Amino acid sequence: MAGTIVATDTPAAGGRKPPGRAGWLLLAPLLAWLACFVVAPTAILFAYSFCQRDELGFVVWEFSWENYARIADPVYLKIFGRSLWYAGLTTVLCLLIGYPVAYYIARAPASRRPTLLMLLMIPFWISFLLRTYAWISLLKADGLVSATLEMLHLIPEPLEILYKPAAVLIGLVYTYLPFMILPIYTSAEKIENSLIEASMNLGAGPWRTLAHVILPLTKPGIFAGVLLVFVPSIGMFAVNDLMGGGKVDMIGNVIQNQFGQARDWPFGAALGITFLALFVISFWFLHDRGEVKRT
Amino acid sequence: MALVNALFGTWSALVMVFFYAPIVFLVVFSFNDSKLNVVWEKFTLRWYAELWNSTPLVNGLKASLIVASITTVLAIILGTGAAWLLHRYRFRAARPISTMAYLPMVVPEVIMGISLLVFFKSIDVSLGFPTVVIAHTTFCFPFVMAAVQARLAGLDPALEEAALDLGATPFEAFWHVIVPYLMPAIVSGALMAFALSLDELIVTFFVKSAGSQTLPVVIFGMAKKGINPMVNALSTLFILFTVLLLLLSEWVKKARA
Amino acid sequence: MKHILRSLAVAGATLVAAVGSSLSAAELNLFAWSEYVPQAVLDKFTEETGIKVNYETYDSNEEMLSKLVGGAEYDLVQPSEYVIEVMVKRGMLAPIDFAAVPNFKNLDKAYLNLPHDPEQKFSIPYMVGSVGIVVNTEKVKEPVKGYADLFSGKHAGRIVTLDDNRELLTWAFYFTGQDLNTINKDTMAKARPVLAKWLPQIKIFDSASPKTALLNGEVDLGIVWSGEAAILFQEDKKFQYVLPTEGAHLFIDSLAMPKDAPHKKEAHAFLNFILRPDISVLISADFPYTNPNVEARKLLTPEQLENPASYPAAEDAKRLHTFRDIGRAAAEIDKMITDLRGGS
Repeated sequence: MAGTIVATDTPAAGGRKPPGRAGWLLLAPLLAWLACFVVAPTAILFAYSFCQRDELGFVVWEFSWENYARIADPVYLKIFGRSLWYAGLTTVLCLLIGYPVAYYIARAPASRRPTLLMLLMIPFWISFLLRTYAWISLLKADGLVSATLEMLHLIPEPLEILYKPAAVLIGLVYTYLPFMILPIYTSAEKIENSLIEASMNLGAGPWRTLAHVILPLTKPGIFAGVLLVFVPSIGMFAVNDLMGGGKVDMIGNVIQNQFGQARDWPFGAALGITFLALFVISFWFLHDRGEVKRT
Repeated sequence: MALVNALFGTWSALVMVFFYAPIVFLVVFSFNDSKLNVVWEKFTLRWYAELWNSTPLVNGLKASLIVASITTVLAIILGTGAAWLLHRYRFRAARPISTMAYLPMVVPEVIMGISLLVFFKSIDVSLGFPTVVIAHTTFCFPFVMAAVQARLAGLDPALEEAALDLGATPFEAFWHVIVPYLMPAIVSGALMAFALSLDELIVTFFVKSAGSQTLPVVIFGMAKKGINPMVNALSTLFILFTVLLLLLSEWVKKARA
Repeated sequence: MKHILRSLAVAGATLVAAVGSSLSAAELNLFAWSEYVPQAVLDKFTEETGIKVNYETYDSNEEMLSKLVGGAEYDLVQPSEYVIEVMVKRGMLAPIDFAAVPNFKNLDKAYLNLPHDPEQKFSIPYMVGSVGIVVNTEKVKEPVKGYADLFSGKHAGRIVTLDDNRELLTWAFYFTGQDLNTINKDTMAKARPVLAKWLPQIKIFDSASPKTALLNGEVDLGIVWSGEAAILFQEDKKFQYVLPTEGAHLFIDSLAMPKDAPHKKEAHAFLNFILRPDISVLISADFPYTNPNVEARKLLTPEQLENPASYPAAEDAKRLHTFRDIGRAAAEIDKMITDLRGGS
C-alpha cells in the first residue's frame, strides 16, 4: 500500500514543508478552477475598469484612469464609508448574538448537534425574497412585532422602524447570522470537555473559563466568521433596497446601478476593483498578524 | 458551567424564534385566501391545489435542488481540499492562492455574473445547468474553505504522523484520520454552501438558460404581478418535508441506540 | 487550458445536441420580462405550430442588454422604447419581415413610427403603459392632480415611488416645464433643487412591487407603472389612477429580433401569433396594461376597458411622451440622484 503516492511526499517531523510533485498534482485542480473562474473574470473586470463608456453605454477599449478618479468623488466616498460602517455593525451584532448559540450547539450532546445545525439552517433554504417580505409585514407599524412589544409594555407606541436604518440592520443580521454561528461552532466543537473541567477545578469561575480558556480557543472560528459576515455584507444591496425602502444606498447598490440603468460598466468595474483591492490589503494584513502569532 | 449553559440555551432558543419568525409568518399566509398575499382574508387550501399545476414553480424548485446538491458536493471537495493542502504545505504561493480563493466572496454578484458569462462565451460553452453549477461552486467553496481552515488551525501534526507511522498511505491518513476530524467543519461548510446556492439570484441570471431557471429567478420574476401564496405553499411543503426527514433520521438514530 | 476546455465543451454540446434533436426540431428562444408572456399563450403556440418555446426571463432592460452583449443568443427579446433606440443605433437588431406578420395591421397607429423606431422596421409593440399617480381616496381627501400636489409637502412620508433614477428625474422635468428627453447640465441643474425637496418626502422606493406598500397601508400615494395601478384598482376601487397634469412617461414594450437570432422563421411565426386578437386578449387578461391591438380591444370586457389605469381618457393620453436614449447623461443622472439620496 505504502508507496502508491510518490515517496518524496512523506512529511518530515514538524509537518509543513513545500509540496512535492504529488503535492502540486493535488493542487492542480484547485489552481485550474481558480484560474478559469476567478482569475479570468477578475482580469476581464480589471481590463474594463480602465475602459470608457461610449455614447450608447457600451464599453470602448480606450485606456483611461478616469473611472478611478471618479471614485474619489465625495458622493461615492461617503457611500463607501457608510457600507463599511453598516458591515462593521452587522459583524459585531452577529458575533454578540451568534457566539452563545454556536457555543451552545457545540456543547450539546454529539448526537443532537447535526439536528440543531439543520434547524438553524432550514429558514435559509427559503427564498430570500419571501423571508424579506415576511419581515416587512412583521415589522410594519401595525405588524406583529410592534403589537407584541406593545402588549408587553416594552414600547409606548407603535414601532416605526421599517424603511429606516434599524430595519436594514435587522435584515442584515438575519441574513448573515448563520455565517457567524457555523464557523465558531466548528472551532468550539473541538474543545475537550476535560479542558473546561480542569479550568473549573482550578478555581476559575464559569465566566473566567469562558473568557480565558474558551474564547482564545475559538479565535480561528471567530476570525472565519468575521470574514464570512463582514466581507459579503459590504457588498449587499438587496436587503437595503427592500427593508430600507431604497433609501439606505450602499456600495453594492451603486455598483448594481452601473450595470443597470446608468449602463456604465467601466465605472462599475472600477468600483469593483477598488472593493477587491481593499479586501486583499486587509486580508493580507490580518493574515500576516495571524502568521506572526502562530509561530 | 451549568449556569452558562442554561443562559446560552435560553439565548439560543430566542435566536431560533428570531430565525423562524418570518417562516411561521409565511406558513400562515400560505393558507390565506387573497391573491396578493398582503392582507389576511380567510382560510383556504386552494394554493396547495394550484401548486400542482404550476410548472414554472415546481420546475424551479427541481432545478434549484439539483444545482444546490451538486454545488454542495463540489464545494466540499474543492473547499476541504484547498484548506487541507494550504495547511499541509508551506510554500510562497500559499498566500496568493488563499486570497484568490476568497475573492469570489468579494466580487459583487453582478460583476461575477457578467464576467463569467463573457468567459463562458469566449470559450464557446453554451449556458445551462453546468455553467450555473460552476458559477455557484465558485462562490460557495470559499465558505467551506473558511470553516475547514478554522478547524485546522492548531491541529496537532502528530495526528497525521501517527497514522503514517502505522503504515497508512498519505491518502489513507487523510481519509481515515483527517476527514473525520474535519467532519464538523465540512458539515458546517456544506450547510452554508447549500443555503447560498439555493438562494442565489444575480450570478445565476447571467449564466442560466431557459431550461435552468432556478427557484429564486422564478420567484423574483413574480414580484411584479404580485407574489401569490402559491410560493408560500411551496415553501411550507418544502420545510415540512425537511423537518419530517430530520425527525425520521433522529428516530432511526434513537432506534439504533 | 483553453484548448482542453473547448474540447470538453464541444463534447458536451454534441451530447446535448444529440439528445435535443431527437426530441423536437423547431425551437424559439424567447427572452422576455418575467411573467409578461402568459404560459397559456406559449402552450397554445406550441400546440398549433409544433414549435417549442424556451422562455427565459429578465427583470430590467439593462439585464437583457447585458446578457445579449455578453454573448447569449435569443430569437426574440422584449425591450422598452428607449432601449430599442440603443439597439437599433448599435446594429443589434434584425429588421422584421412584415410580409410574414400579416396581423401587424391590428395595431393602433398611435403607437407606431415613434421616434425610437421611426420607420417601424425593428419592433412590434407588445403592451403599452404609463407612469402615473395612484391615490388611496379613502385616506387622501383633497384632490391630487399632478406632481405639484403630490409633493406639496402635505403627503410627506406617505409616498411610494418607483426606484428608477430616470423616472424620478423625468417627474422633476415635467414639473419645471422642461422636455423630458433634453438632458444636460443646465436642465439637470434646474431639476436638482426640486428633487432635493421631493426625495425626502418619499417613504419607499420600490420598482419591483410598489403596490404592496399601498395595499398594506404603509403609504397612501404612489407613482407607479399603470399596470400596478390597474391591479390595485381591480382589488379595490379606492385606488384611483391619475395621469399628472404636467405630463407623464408613456412606455412601449415591444418585441424585437436580435441580429443573429438563430430561428428567425419561428420568431416571425410567434410575432404573428401573438398579434391575433384571440391570443392578444389572453395577455390583457393577465396584464392589465394598455393593449395596442385594436382588434383585441374589441374583445375585452367592459370592466377591463373601464379600468382607468389601463385605458385612460383620450384627453389625458395626450400628455404622454416616450423616452429617447439619452447617452452619457444616464451616468450623470445616476450620480446626481445617488448624491441626493445619500443625504438621508
